[in-house]
Amino acid sequence: MSLNMKQIVIAVLGFIFLGSLLLVQAMEVSRRRVEMGQAPKHVVAPASSSKCVECHTKETPGIVDHWTGSTHAEKGVSCYECHEARQGEADAFDHYGQLIATVVTPMDCSKCHPKESEQFQKSHHSSAGNILASLDNFLAETVEGARMEFNPHSPTPGMEVDMVRGMASANSGCQQCHGGKVGLMGTDGSVITFEQLKPDEKGMPTDQTILAMVKRDPKGKPELDPTTWPNTGIGRLNLDGSRGSCSACHSRHDFSPRRARQPENCGKCHLGPDHPQKEIYEESKHGVAFRDLKDDMNLDAEHWVLGEDYSAAPTCATCHMSGNSRNGGEVTHDPGERISWTNRPPVSVRMDTDENHKIVTETDPQARQGLIADTADAKRDRMKLVCSHCHSPDYVSKFYDQYDNLVILYNEKFAKPGTSIMKSLTDNGITSPTQFDEEIEWTWFYLWHHEGRRARHGASMMAPDYTHWHGMYEVAERFYMGLIPQAREMAEEARHSGNAAGADAVDAVINEILARPEHAWFEEGAADASERIRKAMEERYGTK
Amino acid sequence: MNALQRWWSDRIPVTGEQVRELTNEPVPNHLKRWWFCLGGTAAYLFLVQIFTGILLAFYYQASPADAWDSVAYITDEVAYGWYIRSVHKWGAILMIAAVVLHQMRVFFTGAYRKPRELSWVVGMLLLLLTVITGFTGYSLVYEQLSYWGATVGANIADNVPLIGGLMKRMLLAGDSYNAHTLSRFFILHGAALPMAIVAIIGIHIVLIRIQGVTEFEDEAEKKQERKTFNFLPDHLYTEIIIGTTLVILLTVLATVLPAEMGHRADPLTTPEVIKPEWYFYVVFRWLKIFPESFAILSTGAIVFLMFGWPWIDGALRRRRPGSEMSVWIGVAAVLAIVGLTIWEALVAH
Amino acid sequence: MTARDATGSQSPQDPAAEPRRGFLRQATGLAMLGALVAGYGRFAGMAMEFLYPSQPAAEDWQFVSSVESFRQGDSLAYRAPRGDKVTITRQAESGGAEDFIALSSTCPHLGCQVHWEPHNDRYFCPCHNGVFDPSGKGIGGPPGDAGQSLPRFPLKVEDGLLYILVPMTRLPAGGSEEA
Repeated sequence: MSLNMKQIVIAVLGFIFLGSLLLVQAMEVSRRRVEMGQAPKHVVAPASSSKCVECHTKETPGIVDHWTGSTHAEKGVSCYECHEARQGEADAFDHYGQLIATVVTPMDCSKCHPKESEQFQKSHHSSAGNILASLDNFLAETVEGARMEFNPHSPTPGMEVDMVRGMASANSGCQQCHGGKVGLMGTDGSVITFEQLKPDEKGMPTDQTILAMVKRDPKGKPELDPTTWPNTGIGRLNLDGSRGSCSACHSRHDFSPRRARQPENCGKCHLGPDHPQKEIYEESKHGVAFRDLKDDMNLDAEHWVLGEDYSAAPTCATCHMSGNSRNGGEVTHDPGERISWTNRPPVSVRMDTDENHKIVTETDPQARQGLIADTADAKRDRMKLVCSHCHSPDYVSKFYDQYDNLVILYNEKFAKPGTSIMKSLTDNGITSPTQFDEEIEWTWFYLWHHEGRRARHGASMMAPDYTHWHGMYEVAERFYMGLIPQAREMAEEARHSGNAAGADAVDAVINEILARPEHAWFEEGAADASERIRKAMEERYGTK
Repeated sequence: MNALQRWWSDRIPVTGEQVRELTNEPVPNHLKRWWFCLGGTAAYLFLVQIFTGILLAFYYQASPADAWDSVAYITDEVAYGWYIRSVHKWGAILMIAAVVLHQMRVFFTGAYRKPRELSWVVGMLLLLLTVITGFTGYSLVYEQLSYWGATVGANIADNVPLIGGLMKRMLLAGDSYNAHTLSRFFILHGAALPMAIVAIIGIHIVLIRIQGVTEFEDEAEKKQERKTFNFLPDHLYTEIIIGTTLVILLTVLATVLPAEMGHRADPLTTPEVIKPEWYFYVVFRWLKIFPESFAILSTGAIVFLMFGWPWIDGALRRRRPGSEMSVWIGVAAVLAIVGLTIWEALVAH
Repeated sequence: MTARDATGSQSPQDPAAEPRRGFLRQATGLAMLGALVAGYGRFAGMAMEFLYPSQPAAEDWQFVSSVESFRQGDSLAYRAPRGDKVTITRQAESGGAEDFIALSSTCPHLGCQVHWEPHNDRYFCPCHNGVFDPSGKGIGGPPGDAGQSLPRFPLKVEDGLLYILVPMTRLPAGGSEEA
């Protein structure tokens, strides 16, 4: 090969080399570009929490891992920012040089999220803890459990059981959704809650003497009452006097908006025999669409505005809380803002609310008007803004006609009559004031609390099977085959035990109800049935 | 211009003629055949390794806590990091291949024969150093293969009689892999071994210059008057052609098969399939075939015999002049090496 | 390519071809040089890019405090993730980021760390006796002479929360230790 030839070969090779390097360069550039879009946010623990993160990466890697993926981590909000406690707070303790508290309350969150906290405080969610004095709680505390600790009556092999804690059902059941009353153990065995601490507006206990009574471990960490903690119930009553728990929906420690946007999140509590909202949603076309189109839901979007970020399907949050393109993308942390009926009580009530977001019970139209701050119609209009993203106004209003009709039918045909029957039984001394000690009280509870709600919730969220078979059908059966015969039987029994006046009064109420046209089929079509009942009674109690 | 030349020649009193004289060693014609350039190929690849290795060392951190992350940083974050690292990896593979092929060429052409026995010995040293540099190199990444390769390697050394324990302790900086192990590997790989290689290459070249390259001639070449050609520029061009072809090849390999990140080393989990780099397959298979101490002793004996091959060959030829025995031994050795390598490559355990 | 086509010796002596040959040789020589410089030059360039600290300094907005709880006149010692000591002071009540100043503790002169001297009501830099007043203005030493002030970190207010733009990379040693 001549020198010339070699030079030419070298020149060619040199350029090929250059070309191959340009290829490398192109790969590098495209790689950079791809990375730019996907580069994870740089997460570093702020100096305030760098030691926490260092240690907890080993101690509780799950917590740090969750936090690392959170928006909090991106923005420099870490352990201390939320767990920070002030000197003088009942549950504050020194943890390797920093004063912190275990339980993070809405008051803590409100330091940065005041608007969300304020909306939440107005919501029905925040008063979920009020169940502590309600009928449902009576069930758990007395009927299912006991308001006491009592001795076991036989040994449990393999375990030393010295005490049966009667409140266990309420603690593990009711309060995990509704929220418990967070308590600290006292040195004298008592439990210290916000009621003893009497916190001021800023959450500082006004009764400082009680602080000395808080039981602490050798390191100075106050001991939380294990029957009240852990608890992330939505209406939790906290030591600083605030109500609620943000982590009920925004699970710690990633506080993922993505998760709060999905129906499963609400499904922790909104399910089951008495309010199967989750199942109702799943049966509805809305839920079916969500399940199918989840990938198009853009669940990671920063603001997640319906009509802008997504429109594939609505979730619980979409309709009740999230922003949409027609309301300016305004999110609310009060899910009651768009609800026009409350189907919670035995008889559904219109959601005309006063300044304190309490339902107006005044019946006089004039006075009522004066009290209402936010009408049920205004609430419904807010919901209609959501609906209107996918449905025409005519379609939406006719849906609401159907829904209203069902609620009113239930109210008028069963709920109000049932209420008056139950009331007359109590008023006439036939049922005792104690709940759930008579069969009819269970019957009535099933009727409105389980079946009646299922029917109404089913109609409100387009689940026909819940409206009908799990709903109205069972309401009717419970009414005609349970409530009416049981009430009659109790009246008859009362008559035999000398309360003839009471029995007459109850019978009058029942007769008046059954004489109504909507119930006429029952008396006419079931004449022999009532004859059979009458005969059975005579056999049991003799004729009079 | 004149003033500049004067300034220069005052300080470096060497004329262009003298430089040409010094460097322009006549190159035998057979070196125009490309397969006689494998030694130069290895040397060129060594330069590529030094260059890319120095670049990588700017970012590499030799501690178990940071090593893997720093390599991942080079691969993912630094501009062209993946490319430089891939070139370094493929450069190592090609360099070892070149050294092995060079040695085979020398063997089969009998170029190690008197008076060039020492060149062979020096070449053997270079082969060993190159392979050890490769081994310490892939230990630095601190991926599973790195960690377990180093652990297994050190424990093999441990089995060497008498000095085994010492070798292991010296290699690992302790009885087992610890916080100081990686920095040892790093200094061995990045400073000690390369400097040794540079020094020995120097000896290698000096020996070649003193003894001259073995001259081969075939029928066609005999007819030509001039049996050598100029190192400058003719042979240099040849080397440049080879070198540039090599970097193109390296670039293509780096883009098509870039160096990936294996799993971070986990001292508590030995991977199901653990294999060293391909150039250790022979030894690895050998160790699996025979009982440990025999395998290690025999490996040592084979290496020793390889060092002494020029004299063994001399003895053989003296005893049976004209026999082709050496060639057949070589063929058998190559077949054995290739066979064992393929065997190891095909099976999982 | 084998020895066969390698006709190393010079070819026919054609005097007329000489100038053309010379030109050709020059041209191929130049082409070779050019190609080598281009190829290996690019390689060297990539090596330089490799060495250049390509990653942009990782900076990000970090939460400091809510605006509401930060009263005018209040001062807050903030530590950036890297460990930088930052003094944030609120000077006005408009509610915007301009209410606040965030002073770095890095001396603008030669980069030493200043510290606050409460008894002198000033920041002091031990390297060359630089002195700064509480607002960060240089009033003595080299920074005073050059009219330099302590550098400030950018601040922003979003949804009633104060954020600061600070370096995010943590140095391997120190950093979180209290000085």
